[in-house]
Amino acid sequence: MAEMERDEKVSAGYRALGGEEPPRALDEAILAAARRSPTRLRVPHLRWRVPLSIAAVLVLAVGVTLRMQPQQPDAESVALAPQVMQTPRPVASAPAPEQEQPKPAVRAKAREDVSAAPASQLAAAADAMRAAPATSAAGAVAPSPLRAEVAAKLAKTELTPEAWLARIAELRKQKRKLEAEESLAEFRKRYPDYKIPEALR
Amino acid sequence: MLAYRQGDAGAFTVLYARHKGPLYRFVLRSVKERALAEELYQEIWMRVIEARGRYSVQAKFTTWLYTIAHHRLTDHWRKRGLQLVEAEGAEAVAHRSFEPEPRAEGRQDLQRLAAALAALPELQRETFLLHEEAGMTLAEIAAAIGVTEEAAKSRLRYALARLREALGDG
Repeated sequence: MAEMERDEKVSAGYRALGGEEPPRALDEAILAAARRSPTRLRVPHLRWRVPLSIAAVLVLAVGVTLRMQPQQPDAESVALAPQVMQTPRPVASAPAPEQEQPKPAVRAKAREDVSAAPASQLAAAADAMRAAPATSAAGAVAPSPLRAEVAAKLAKTELTPEAWLARIAELRKQKRKLEAEESLAEFRKRYPDYKIPEALR
Repeated sequence: MLAYRQGDAGAFTVLYARHKGPLYRFVLRSVKERALAEELYQEIWMRVIEARGRYSVQAKFTTWLYTIAHHRLTDHWRKRGLQLVEAEGAEAVAHRSFEPEPRAEGRQDLQRLAAALAALPELQRETFLLHEEAGMTLAEIAAAIGVTEEAAKSRLRYALARLREALGDG
């Protein structure tokens, strides 16, 4: 550290110049200003302002992040959802839930039953199901082998007449006449008394 | 100062009483015009009052106070168009109009001293006044005016040399 410079004679001479003081009026003005100034600064509160703000932002960010996380779809719903989408809603007021009810158990049961189904029925149902995805709304995906099995099962036992006919209509629209005729024949066997719409005869 | 920051107005009164004289003389002998000195002096205290929230316990109050005073004076000098330069030995003194009084004792010595003090370059005079009026060390002076200790020491040495000359100790 640098040594402090001092010259005693100069210091003494300087002190002898006199100790002038500020005028009293100036003193009073300054003291009055000090008293007028807010007596208590909110310094302690200011200390907490930044941490509180940070905490609030973090809570908000976590909340928004959690809300934005996509819901994990149920695995069975994913497998069966295209199934549902591929099944056009019947025109008549057929109970739609019939198709959807078995969804959770269908996959397991389908595996058991499909093997027992006649090959021709499975083929027709599989074709019908393959045709359906082209007409369904957004979200249809290419049928997996498992879905084909499930489709066969549904086509065989759980499709409503209206839904079946809708599929046949779709096949015709797609110029798959042979498949449509086969499916219609199968339909007539299943529902001999059902009044088939004129357009499909 | 901490007490005043927490809202104790009485603490300011004590602080003011302790520092008012040295600060007033520091400002008065820096600008040499009484009315101007009083105006600057009041402004410095107003800044102290306004900035009390920013006062840090790490800083000595004297250093903090004279830092504010230094900034205010520097603004004043710059507004006046004064170039604040380091004195380069005796040449800087020669550029100023300074007519040394004939040698005499007592009162005349003091007059010469006062004249020599007034004739010092602003930076050197400021350093001398901080040292003499505020009782600040070279380190504190350097911290208050934002220079190195060596620079503060050089300025003080120059000032002392000129003032010694005026007192006949050349």
